[in-house]
Amino acid sequence: MPLSDEETSLVLKRTVMIAIFAAVAVVLSIAESMIPVNIQIPGAKLGLANIMILTCLYFLRARDALMLVVLKTILTAFIFGTFSSLLFSLFGSLFSFAVMAFLMKLGRRRLSLVGISITGGIAHNIGQLAAASIVFSTLNIFYYLPALLISGIATGILVGIAVRYLVTSLSRLSLFDPFMKA
Amino acid sequence: MKRGDLLLISVILAAALLLMVPRWVQGGQISEKNHNTPLTAVIKVEGKVFQTVTLTKEEQTVEIRTKRGYNLIKVQDYGIEMVDADCPDEICLTFGFKTKKGDTIVCLPHRVIVEVEGTGGEGEGTDAII
Repeated sequence: MPLSDEETSLVLKRTVMIAIFAAVAVVLSIAESMIPVNIQIPGAKLGLANIMILTCLYFLRARDALMLVVLKTILTAFIFGTFSSLLFSLFGSLFSFAVMAFLMKLGRRRLSLVGISITGGIAHNIGQLAAASIVFSTLNIFYYLPALLISGIATGILVGIAVRYLVTSLSRLSLFDPFMKA
Repeated sequence: MKRGDLLLISVILAAALLLMVPRWVQGGQISEKNHNTPLTAVIKVEGKVFQTVTLTKEEQTVEIRTKRGYNLIKVQDYGIEMVDADCPDEICLTFGFKTKKGDTIVCLPHRVIVEVEGTGGEGEGTDAII
């Protein structure tokens, strides 16, 4: 079945947006790795790339965001040369994505973007801890969970606020008109 | 921010605190015991024991070189720390100086794990305290 002009342009817009979002997410990951963090919480990070994933979830469909997550994870693995831990990053980011997509669909009335980004960040931590504990077959690693939970709240709030600003600015662009939710 | 957000934050904070409380209680008891019984650390690579070191006051280093990469572990002042590694994320270096039983240092990309344990002769050590 051939697509109408309007549908084609929508598909095109979507594809371009995923590509741009993925590029920005990768750049944010690189920028983040250059910020020296001197805290004694292993695995804690700002999660700036989550800004793009959450924004994507806000405007586009869940499957587009899934595409973005996979792209971003593989691209960062290429750039940082972290192929040995690619599976763990995938585990963490896919789990985080699943939780956020679920909340975006069902929890939107109760939770704002801040709440969703907190849950997403923490889900990422839990996913990675779970992957690590499977590899090493020890539950000792969950020792760091409480500290990660608290740092996850802090970074989640920051990311959530950033997403809110980004969403309001992007909404003003006519490019995003077809994706605005009522 | 909606009310649900605040609820979510308080639930997570409460969970984090609940998980921490038993650790503080236990931590106090262990540090008293720490003076006379030196701890050991088991270093495992890919699931197999690579080396077991006693956490002495004197400085000693353990170097791990596998096909995955290189890690340098340093023991001193009854504790252990990952001081150098060529893994890409360097998360293992952020674990810091570990002195308590049950502490763990993990280098996921290199499949290296360091676990601090009580001395072998002491048993598991939980029954001695009241």
